[in-house]
Amino acid sequence: HPWEMVTKAAMQKYPNPMNPSVVGVDVLDRSVDQQGRLHSKRLLNTEWGLPSIVKSLIGNVRTCTYIQESSIVDPKERTFELQSSNITFTNMVSVDERLTYKPHPDDPEKTILTQEAIISVKGVSLSSYLEGVMANTISNNAGKVNPFLFIFML
Amino acid sequence: VGEACTELKREYDQCFNRWFAEHFLKGDRSGDPCTETFRKYQRCVQKAIKEKDIPIDGVEFMGPNKDKPDS
Repeated sequence: HPWEMVTKAAMQKYPNPMNPSVVGVDVLDRSVDQQGRLHSKRLLNTEWGLPSIVKSLIGNVRTCTYIQESSIVDPKERTFELQSSNITFTNMVSVDERLTYKPHPDDPEKTILTQEAIISVKGVSLSSYLEGVMANTISNNAGKVNPFLFIFML
Repeated sequence: VGEACTELKREYDQCFNRWFAEHFLKGDRSGDPCTETFRKYQRCVQKAIKEKDIPIDGVEFMGPNKDKPDS
């Protein structure tokens, strides 16, 4: 799908039935800079659905996580870059995700999404389990960009 | 972030999504028509964030005109 369509869809990505863990999104700030790029800061509210054993270790049943996302849309260069990281549970885990949507260099009807996530878990013995769950969730969701667009386009 | 803000958010989102798709992405640099709805929505969000004590990092809570926030 062309970049404009993908960017428009990605900007309105949440809430969507394919990723029910994101329960809310709010815009904290938005402005257009001198070069005509749109900067946005958003707050995403997610429910992680942690397994009950993890919930009992954490103690408090607060599985609601807040994520702060910064993004820049450059309509001239045709790029949409996002960076998001969690701002809750930072004493336990830190997920820093970066996404870039750019037109495909060979096919203007297509868009390339590059996605990286840096996950670090601090001092908890379940570290490899949590990292695995999160990495799995993120990579499952990356592949859902196209099906979501299809629903959005209907 | 706050249920009270949902309606304001819906109003702002509608305005923004329309402007974004029909003007901004097409390279139309004309002014953003959503400033007023954004400001109203922002005030609500700001209040909800304070009430819920959400640790936002380095955000100035400003609309495009960059007014100083209330303390």
